[in-house]
Amino acid sequence: MQRIDSISFRNVLPQVFREVSDSTAITDSQVWLADFSLKRPGQYIIEAASGTGKSSLCSFMYGNRHDYDGHILFNQTDIRSFSMEDWCRIRRSHLALLPQEMRLFPELTAGENILLKNRLTDFMTEERIHRLLEVFELDHKYNVPAGRLSIGQQQRVALIRTLCQPFDFILLDEPVSHLDAANNALAAQMILHEAAAQQAGIIVTSVGNPLLITDYTPVTL
Amino acid sequence: MVWNLLKKNISAPQITGYAVANLIGLAIVLTAVKFYTDIHSTWTAGDSFVSTDYLVVSKPVPLIATGAANSATTFSDAEIEDLRAQPWAQQVGVFTGSDYNVSAHLELGGRHMSTALFFESIPDEFYDITPAGWDWTPDTCNLPVVPIVMSKDYLALYNYGFAPARGMPQISENIIGRVPLTVALAGNGHYDRYPAKIVGFSSRLNTIAVPQTFMEWANERYRDSLTPHEPPGRLIIKVNSPGDPAITEYFEENGIEVGGDKAGSGRAVYLMSVVTAVVVVVGIIITVLAVFILMLSIFLLMQKNREKLRDLMLLGYSPHQICVYYYRLVGFVNLAILVGALLFMFIASSLWQKPLRALDIAGSSPLWAILSGVLIISLITALNFFTIRRLVRRYF
Repeated sequence: MQRIDSISFRNVLPQVFREVSDSTAITDSQVWLADFSLKRPGQYIIEAASGTGKSSLCSFMYGNRHDYDGHILFNQTDIRSFSMEDWCRIRRSHLALLPQEMRLFPELTAGENILLKNRLTDFMTEERIHRLLEVFELDHKYNVPAGRLSIGQQQRVALIRTLCQPFDFILLDEPVSHLDAANNALAAQMILHEAAAQQAGIIVTSVGNPLLITDYTPVTL
Repeated sequence: MVWNLLKKNISAPQITGYAVANLIGLAIVLTAVKFYTDIHSTWTAGDSFVSTDYLVVSKPVPLIATGAANSATTFSDAEIEDLRAQPWAQQVGVFTGSDYNVSAHLELGGRHMSTALFFESIPDEFYDITPAGWDWTPDTCNLPVVPIVMSKDYLALYNYGFAPARGMPQISENIIGRVPLTVALAGNGHYDRYPAKIVGFSSRLNTIAVPQTFMEWANERYRDSLTPHEPPGRLIIKVNSPGDPAITEYFEENGIEVGGDKAGSGRAVYLMSVVTAVVVVVGIIITVLAVFILMLSIFLLMQKNREKLRDLMLLGYSPHQICVYYYRLVGFVNLAILVGALLFMFIASSLWQKPLRALDIAGSSPLWAILSGVLIISLITALNFFTIRRLVRRYF
């Protein structure tokens, strides 16, 4: 599969919004019921009030939910045509996702959580993983079960796990909601660096505490 | 690492419960299959369980018998044909009676004995023994020895009934074969004496039998041309399964009697295989229930692991990569069950080999039991794999 250069939305609307499709929340949206594209290597921050469907948007793009009307295209291909095997390939080497609720396995250690992904992609060396943890001053937590980390620590571990793969776009659903400004800046730097190295697009959602990047296109959901 | 994650919710009691239940079910099925093939081997093995598959039939003598044998106690050609057409009748042989007078003479311990006698013959393939010197070719010049096969019962009658009562010596089978006999045949104006010899004892035939070739020749020579040839009064039937109820039913409908209690022993084998079949069914029911336990367990396990499975697949793990871990678990458990059940079957069958050998029943090869075990476990495993795959893919 070739690299994904654009993610396009053609008249997309979550099915739960069918009843309220003429409300201002939908008509003002740049994404819902619109013709809209995200291009690589652009940087997008999707601003949204909670309950407007930004997590749904991430799930639609990541192929684990299909309850929407309209069409989402990767390049020119409708993503509804992808098989499970296609999606597995996409999730390993084209799209990286950091879900809002992180989805770390609490019984595995921070290190194991990261390796669980890296084993699949073989993208980073263990040494590199340790270095990234050091950036966040978390290397000493390597062998601590993820369930015993604070939410903020979990968020940073989950971010490193998300970076353990090649990607064309990285989807970050409120990646810094539990981070202070200093860690937010470190996270932004790390993401920008990885995306630049891979000439990848960055798609970040935010309800209040946005990722500290300066050069981005704001999108209203 | 993935396995560490997935094995957390595996319920050891559920898996053990399934394994024990399925082991019991499969062990019962395999043991019953082995037992069935063991007793069935005797049933189809011809002579090993003497004459269980041969029935000698006749018609009951009516209350008032009118003179000589008549149509009430003989079989017409149509009746014989009808018998041959029955699905359970493999072969039907006719007893040919002697249409002449026979008497036998022998010298034993200096005493001369003679007795009036009769001969019967049946085709050679119905004998349970193949005695030496059974071939007989007509040759009036050299007077070939007439070979005779006698019922074992007759010898027993003589040895344990007649001889002690009359102060006569008992005779073994070996000795009687060496006693020179003379048979005198008379009829149609001929009277001839032939040397004869008892060449064997049959436990299947309750008669005094001579080779079919001799009988045909003798009937030709000594039959009074005025007396018509008698239709046969007794038949020997080779049957597939002597205990088959269809046989008993047919005989009752047509007023036919079975000699001895051979049908009874056949019925015992038949009954035994019916019981075995019931046991197989019970075993299969237990196995099926056990499989339900496993299915339920897999279902619950998947349910409990739903979030983990989803998250793993969100990371890019394919459904197949995840299924493999469960395949391994189920495959290993099922293999262990198969090995355990086969072990049980071998131990159980070794326990009954001795009593069976005492009954002159040779054991059968365990191939069928092994094959059914492999087949059943393969089917169960395939069903399990299919369910796991379906459930995992559902959570994608």
